[in-house]
Amino acid sequence: MNTLAIELKKLKRTGVLPLLPAVGILGAAYAFVNFLVRGDGLLRLPLAPMDVLLTQLYGVIMILNLFGVVAAACMAYNMEFKGGAVRKMYMLPVSVPGMYLCKFLLLTVLLFAAVAVENLALLKMGQSRLPQGTFEMGTLLRFAAYSFVTSMPVLSFMLLVSSRSENMWISLGIGVAGFLSGMALAPSASVLLCVHPFVLMLKPAVAMSAQPDGTVALLALVETSFFLGAGLWAAKKLRYE
Amino acid sequence: MDYIITTERLTKKYKNFTSVNNLSLHVRRGSIYGFLGPNGAGKSTTMKMLLGLTAPTRGSFTVDGKQFPRDRLAILRETGSFIEAPSFYPNLTGRENLEVIRRILGLRKNTVEDALEMVGLSEFGDRLAKKYSLGMKQRLGLAGALLGRPPILILDEPTNGLDPSGIHEIRGLVKSLPDLYDCTVLISSHMLSEIELMAEDIGILNHGRLLFEGSLDDLRQSARQAGMSDGNLEEVFLSLVERDNAARKQRAKL
Repeated sequence: MNTLAIELKKLKRTGVLPLLPAVGILGAAYAFVNFLVRGDGLLRLPLAPMDVLLTQLYGVIMILNLFGVVAAACMAYNMEFKGGAVRKMYMLPVSVPGMYLCKFLLLTVLLFAAVAVENLALLKMGQSRLPQGTFEMGTLLRFAAYSFVTSMPVLSFMLLVSSRSENMWISLGIGVAGFLSGMALAPSASVLLCVHPFVLMLKPAVAMSAQPDGTVALLALVETSFFLGAGLWAAKKLRYE
Repeated sequence: MDYIITTERLTKKYKNFTSVNNLSLHVRRGSIYGFLGPNGAGKSTTMKMLLGLTAPTRGSFTVDGKQFPRDRLAILRETGSFIEAPSFYPNLTGRENLEVIRRILGLRKNTVEDALEMVGLSEFGDRLAKKYSLGMKQRLGLAGALLGRPPILILDEPTNGLDPSGIHEIRGLVKSLPDLYDCTVLISSHMLSEIELMAEDIGILNHGRLLFEGSLDDLRQSARQAGMSDGNLEEVFLSLVERDNAARKQRAKL
């Protein structure tokens, strides 16, 4: 708990704390305005109203979340490297993997907040704009959980990358490359391509149904745990020299 | 003799290069030990090994009776350190930087003000660390080491980057520490003239090997025996290093 409080204190003035909630508000505003303006047109698509509400707006929301996660992960470690503060941490009786885990937890909570805000906007839109009796709360909650779980591998992967690279631009570059390659590979039906964390995050955005894909969700959980485990293991190795 | 830090044939090798070679140090409790040597002699590497920042290739050491690596965290808990360059969070103020360290060490709140006061940074405590001058960053690094008045201080060239008055001030502070509170200081420098003004015992290192260990009086005596003027210890130090370098060259030729 003390390490968590310390990590929270360290994030002061880095912009990490307001970034993901701001992304959530932006995503919610996009969903709100888009459905107000284009709602009738979208509802004429040959899809169930809940599928329209959840899949047709998710593309942009997902891109906002993705870049929010990439930037937040890079910034969370940039402040450790910028003034060499991490070297001081190595000289103190503090668990470096514990620090890593706390950063992971903080980013997870912030991403969860962003997803929650976005889905509140979808809830409002669903209740007020979908045809009578077509809004399903269960479907919305399942899709919200699915989109959150499929976003976690990118968060876990980017935190690992940013913790290993002292130059923030390299981490950001990897994030952008991951997004672009993910965009190219996501429409493929091959399960093998799901080892790419960005492909997993993009999967709900390229699907036409709001029903979660169990295989994708399972792979997302496995990858999140794998990258988290790799990050904790790597954090044990002090890189002073 | 009551030694607080002892190393036993401590060695650090990087591929073909031996940075520290069979080093056996003995730092007396409550003393200021000057660790002297030209650049690249292995002073910083030795200090890094004592803090567990790099693992020894061979040999062992104890700090206040605690063994590395088993008691690494316990060693760090009672050792204040400043290695190479000041390390800080640029997004935090000087005071906030120390607050982070204070929380990690579980110290009382007033220790932050105490440390800021000791290094003369009290009035700049609320300025962002990234806006500090080099000298102020150096002082902040020192404040981080002094936080909570730890019984052991490991300071690697702490006056680097300071102006002459800053050097004088920090030198005075380091010198006063064992009297101010019961502590032992291991301080490195490549200038004997600086160490001479602070330390009671010195260790001279060259190419990872310990050329001399003892008190300043012992060094003066060995200078007299070697036919050198004991008034100028800088000359003694340089001749020790030069003699060792010449012997190394000779060995390399053979």
